[in-house]
Order: sequence, then C-alpha cells, then structure tokens
Amino acid sequence: MACNKEVWQDLGEGFVQEYYSRFDNTNRMELGNLYSPEACLTWEGSPYQGREAIASKLASLPFKTIKHIITEQDFQPTIDGCILIMVFGQLKVDDDPPMAFHQVFMLKSQNCAWACTNDVFRLGIHNIPV
Amino acid sequence: MVDQPLWEQIGSSFVQHYYAVFDSERENLGAIYIDSSCLTWEGQQYQGKTAIVDKLKSLPFSKIAHNITAQDHQPTPDCCILSMVVGQLRADDDPIMGFHQSFLLKNINDAWVCTNDMFRLAIHNFG
Repeated sequence: MACNKEVWQDLGEGFVQEYYSRFDNTNRMELGNLYSPEACLTWEGSPYQGREAIASKLASLPFKTIKHIITEQDFQPTIDGCILIMVFGQLKVDDDPPMAFHQVFMLKSQNCAWACTNDVFRLGIHNIPV
Repeated sequence: MVDQPLWEQIGSSFVQHYYAVFDSERENLGAIYIDSSCLTWEGQQYQGKTAIVDKLKSLPFSKIAHNITAQDHQPTPDCCILSMVVGQLRADDDPIMGFHQSFLLKNINDAWVCTNDMFRLAIHNFG
C-alpha cells in the first residue's frame, strides 16, 4: 500500500536531499542556484543577504571535505504557501571529530520553481551542558 | 548604540515571552497560536490552537526551565519572522538536555502570532 505523503513533505525531502548532496559532493559553487535572489542566510549567527553573498559564503568555507548525515527532518506548510523545514544531523569536516548541526530552511514557489528564501544554520555545540 | 532590526526585536521579544510562559504556566500559551497554527513536537504533528495547547498541557513534567544559548531571527518574503532557538532545558529532576525550536511568526490584526512551531530535543544529533 502506497504511503501518501503530503506534497510539502515530498518537496521538502527533495530539497534537503539536493542541498546536502550539492554541499557534500561538489565545490558548492552551484548551491547558490537553490536560493532566491533576495534570500537570507544566518550562518552561525552571521547574516548574509542575497543569493550572491550566500553562494560566496558557502563556496568559501574552509574545509576540503565535508559529509552531512541527516538524523531527523520535519516539514510544515505555512499559511502563505511556503514550506518550513527543520533538519538535525551530524557533519564531519576533513579529519575533525563529528559535530552536531541544526538547520532551518524556508522554501517559496517563485516562477514555477521552489527556491530557498531563508536559511539558518548552527552547530549543535551550544547544547552541550557546561 | 546599534539599533536591532525590527524583526530581531519582535523575534527576541516573542522568544522571551514564549519560554517565560512555558516555564511558568504553559496552559496560557494558547494566546500565541491561531486556529491554523501547526506544531511538530518531536516528530508528531498537531494542528490548530486547541490541539497544540492540549499537547503542551499534557507534557508529563511538573516543572521545566529553558535556558536559551542562541537565537537567530530573519524576515521572510511574506513579512513573517523566522526564529530559530538553540538551548537547554531541564524537566523536574531529569538531566539537562539540549533542544532546538523554530517558530514562524505572522502579524494578524496587529498582533504577532505563531503559525508554525517545530521542537526537537538535541538527542537526535548523536547517532
């Protein structure tokens, strides 16, 4: 019996898969194409405005290899017809120990394609009890 | 003195209010949600103000304290505010746990309400 996933869940899962695949397996120059022209990124508390600034930030991250493992992802539709996504997982950069991360995306349909308008990324280190 | 952007002021006020109410009298959280709000709590979906408040009221602890370690706020193209919170919480005498929560706020009839809320404990990060 087929499991009927909601449309937003399908779209969200597709986006998440594509995003981390491009992130991990390319030079990240093409990540910019997933964002809308006026998208906002907050990367570890620093804001980046617009597709070009975001693409530039992501392409310039200082590691040779990275791998993301997604442990959980949640999807919700919004009143304005967008899709809100929350991702939890771990990432491994070069030979560093794995670290937890948490990322939120908002997707909006623009010109018949879904683009990311909002992206917030934080490492999970903030959660470790002192 | 640097002025915070409006969305940061609204987002951080909301976050402060949300956790203050949650930690003291979470049955009163209903005022921040509307009938079309969605909550995803540890992967389970709850739709609408009543279902959301029922879920929060039914959480099985007597006392809880949240400590926010980081929060980020962004404006969205539809004039909403996206807020992401990272922190720790302690329920009753249980060990401290990390948590992550995201909110989408919308201005309806001159009041900022929460239309989308997603909560997860940080345990999922350690596979």
